[in-house]
Amino acid sequence: MYQQQQKQSILTEEDLAGAILSDLKRVVREYATAATESTCPDIRQLFTKLMNSTLTLQGQLFQAMQQANMYNAASPALRQELDKQMKQYQQTKQKTTQFVQQNLGQQQNQTFYTPAMQQQTNQQQQGNQPYYM
Amino acid sequence: MKPMTAKELEYIADSMSNEELLIKQCTALAVTGTTPALQNLSLQFLQTHQNHYDSLLHAIQHHQQMAPTQPQQ
Repeated sequence: MYQQQQKQSILTEEDLAGAILSDLKRVVREYATAATESTCPDIRQLFTKLMNSTLTLQGQLFQAMQQANMYNAASPALRQELDKQMKQYQQTKQKTTQFVQQNLGQQQNQTFYTPAMQQQTNQQQQGNQPYYM
Repeated sequence: MKPMTAKELEYIADSMSNEELLIKQCTALAVTGTTPALQNLSLQFLQTHQNHYDSLLHAIQHHQQMAPTQPQQ
């Protein structure tokens, strides 16, 4: 499959995989920056494609490392912390909506957040309904 | 198609350096790794990074003809 040499890295497999993972994360950001600063449409498209492809690799490597117990996932956020942010940003949302309505008389009800479980029911909904009521 | 800007060329060159480094790191992981899943993945990545590198190289190639030979103001 690949050269079976008696080579031993002074870095562990985990170190090496970790180095690749952080490089992939960095390269995703660099492609995003490059795309936003490109003026040629074909170059912008190239950087966008490379960004998406690299993002996919990063996700695959992360999952493989997690399965090999090489990655300690961050601890879950506490319920009270979620409640606090929820409360605060619902208030902010009201103010922002007021701001938009006062200035444009318009309502915006789109969300980019559509978890898999919700998607099916949402597909039946039409128009500008929020996906989270 | 428009001529490539100097900035775009810089990003492309930097990106090829990044891809080259990833190609080398994936090779190292494939050769020295011990977890089959990671070894297989690194071989798969190796090909993708080589494709990325070639795509960047092609972009320069395609813009060679329309690039000005004198500095523009």
